[in-house]
Amino acid sequence: MSKAMQMLWEIEMRSASVVGLWKVKKSCRWMIRRGSSSCGRLTTVSTMASAGCGRLCARVHEKLCQWGQSQISRKPSSARGKFGFFTPIRNFSDDATKAQALKNAVAAAATTASSGCWHPCVRPEAPGTARTFATMRTQQPGSLPDYQVDPYALLEDDLRDVYEYIKNVLRRNTFQDNLYEIATYYFDGHGKALRPMVTILMARAINYHVYKENRNELLPAQREVAMISEMIHTASLVHDDVIDQSDFRRGKPSVNVKWNHKKVTMAGDFILAVASMMIARLRNNDVTSVLSQVVSDLVQGEFMQLGSKETENERFAHYLQKTYRKTASLIANSVKSVAILAECDEKTTEISYQYGKNIGLGFQLVDDLLDFVSSSEAMGKPTAADLKLGLATAPVLFACEKYPELNPMIMRRFQEPGDVEKAFELVHESRGLQQTQFLARQHCQEAVRYANLIEESPYQKALIVTADYVLNRMK
Amino acid sequence: MSLSKLAAGILRKRIPTTPLCAYTSRSNSTSVQANPKKPDWNRAVSEAEKIVGYPNSFLSLRWLLSDEIANVALQLRKLVGSNHPLLKTAKGLLYNGKNNMQAWGLIVLLVSKAAGHSPDIPDMEQDKSAGVLHSQRALAEVTEMIRTSHLVHKGLVNLQPPIKVDALGDMISGNKIALLSGDYLLSNSCVELANLKNQELVELMSSAVRDLAEAEFVEPRDIQNAPLPAKPRSDGKGYAKFVESNMEPLAVGEALGDARAEWTMRHVLNAGSLLGKSCQGTLKLAGHSPELQQKGYLFGKHLALAWQACLDREPFSPGSTGSFSLISAPVLFTLQHNPDTYSLIEKGLDDIEKVDFGAVRKAVLDGPGLEITKVLQKEHSQAALEVLNELRDCDARTALKNIIVAMQD
Repeated sequence: MSKAMQMLWEIEMRSASVVGLWKVKKSCRWMIRRGSSSCGRLTTVSTMASAGCGRLCARVHEKLCQWGQSQISRKPSSARGKFGFFTPIRNFSDDATKAQALKNAVAAAATTASSGCWHPCVRPEAPGTARTFATMRTQQPGSLPDYQVDPYALLEDDLRDVYEYIKNVLRRNTFQDNLYEIATYYFDGHGKALRPMVTILMARAINYHVYKENRNELLPAQREVAMISEMIHTASLVHDDVIDQSDFRRGKPSVNVKWNHKKVTMAGDFILAVASMMIARLRNNDVTSVLSQVVSDLVQGEFMQLGSKETENERFAHYLQKTYRKTASLIANSVKSVAILAECDEKTTEISYQYGKNIGLGFQLVDDLLDFVSSSEAMGKPTAADLKLGLATAPVLFACEKYPELNPMIMRRFQEPGDVEKAFELVHESRGLQQTQFLARQHCQEAVRYANLIEESPYQKALIVTADYVLNRMK
Repeated sequence: MSLSKLAAGILRKRIPTTPLCAYTSRSNSTSVQANPKKPDWNRAVSEAEKIVGYPNSFLSLRWLLSDEIANVALQLRKLVGSNHPLLKTAKGLLYNGKNNMQAWGLIVLLVSKAAGHSPDIPDMEQDKSAGVLHSQRALAEVTEMIRTSHLVHKGLVNLQPPIKVDALGDMISGNKIALLSGDYLLSNSCVELANLKNQELVELMSSAVRDLAEAEFVEPRDIQNAPLPAKPRSDGKGYAKFVESNMEPLAVGEALGDARAEWTMRHVLNAGSLLGKSCQGTLKLAGHSPELQQKGYLFGKHLALAWQACLDREPFSPGSTGSFSLISAPVLFTLQHNPDTYSLIEKGLDDIEKVDFGAVRKAVLDGPGLEITKVLQKEHSQAALEVLNELRDCDARTALKNIIVAMQD
């Protein structure tokens, strides 16, 4: 059995594909359960999975990022009040802001909608991908539809009551005010409500896609999923706060500062339990399976964060998979759930899943980037927080290429005095931030590509705009 | 439980046997000290285990294959030598195993076998040799995972800012591991339950998790969240008076201050709900009528309460000097009988260490609390036995009866 474990371990470390890896792992668990006769095949699978992830991959990535440089752009837009996406120009890039460039990129992504491979770390055919991107740049996009849809304005009615509704559900599940107070602390309306927003957008977009004018309404079950996604997210935030001993979140003292840690932990369990009851009440086996997978992913992602890997490539694969599990899985599976509830075909369900996965990965990459460039005031939590927690995120991993002296720091989790400051400095001196942004852009472009496969509607357009928001947000 | 076995492997080698300090001595009041082993009890349990095939080791094998658990074991090793209560929880899971933990899944399996299942269920889904369904076995595992997860989360140390502790680093990493391990078990339960494809069951078991979380908020609590009894009041309502619907939360406030109601409410949330709902759920899986399912709930609930009453009495038995919980039945009844005793409790509202446990023990031994607790246990045992009598006679039913009888000795 220890040999089997070793094998699993190796596969985990070697392969990089987020979803592919999950499948490999699943199938090899299955094989182990069935006996050891299929070990030969197992090795083949793992070798295949690791083929694209050698040092070559990192190089290709570097190249891609250089090409991408000229594409880096931000679209200035007005500050958003309540939900807080606003996008002034960031100063870490040496590139000038060009709204047009982004539109080009978006359009290019849209025109290459049918090309499958795009991510250098995910697919073995990375060099081909590079070519695709090079071509993309030279393509002249046609005229673009007007994308001035504001998702939050579009969904104003749908989103207005999200937090109130969640609070009501929690209220109905306990008579104890002290529990209610902790459990509802983060449902104060100051969050971005990204998950409910994307979920409802997708629900409405898919409803139109499948039923055209015949169904303009959001199904009650789809609305529930939007609430559930925010509740699962919050339950994980509450537990994260205890684990990380953080002081601030969303501009106010975090739960673990205000209350007894045992109670805070239980309040997290409580939120999860209530969310789980809501899921069950949807009475849909598939949705329950999909959403329970999210919970499992979140925990496994947290476990992955405890460990680190020896070599650079393993580390990057590890990081991507952790990011999928901790962030992208929730968004991807929430939008998948609303698609399932719309009773659309499998292909459409997969489109929505892929859209959510890419938005989620892009979102987290930008989050990791903002940890280095944004002020704590804008973020509502301290910056360089990841480094202080000993976590090496994408900017650091990219910076490693140029400054190998970061390696030992990563291995000791920035524990020695001066490590955090030094690493912070090196990241800024390297191209790690631009490379991270480029990777985030790739994911957002991929999300746009999937969104373009959905029938055109205001909600579908808002999905495209959301990808832009996610990429260009400042908090 | 495999987690505890892993931990125990480490613990056996290195842990000194007397690591009790301020934190460890109070980490969880429910896993009460195992008295010198009662032979009858052990025989009843091990015979019962044979009836339903293998106990719960099936799960362990799968757990050992997962890298998360390997990670936990690594982290746990770092904690050895610190005094984080997680180690005590892990040890408790192991050494109290027979008396406390393992029996939960066992009860669910025994109830499953005793009640049988509807003839419509295809052969594929049956574990013929043990006489239970595969889904029921999975549910039994879920029950244990939820219970363990709760105990592990309860074992966290409160490190909220004003509190100063020695070896803060150890405590933080201990909390981290405890929290993640608990979450891991909980998330596994989610997945296992989802696999059963029975949404009513998912809802039922989720509400049991909710109840467990609620239990930790019943006031008053000291700074480490250890529970204390509420101030006794003369106009307390009996527990029977408020509605007990399965899915709705309990009206906690109404029960406080009335010894019997408060004890029942606290322990229904803490234990009775999970065991009751698991028994109810297993009958649901077997395709039994809602009436029988409801009886299953009552059986589990009464059994858990009888069990708790039994555990509550132990520290006060002649010759025993074991520590006891301040919310145990004998203490609550003593307070109700003589409200002046509450002044002893009030000293510990910030920190239960400040309570003079010797004086409380004396008050309990002098008062009628123990006798009333004995009657309480009898009532719950009786109620559980009554449900059993409605089932057909079989080896599983006999085993359940034996367990209840062994508890009463």
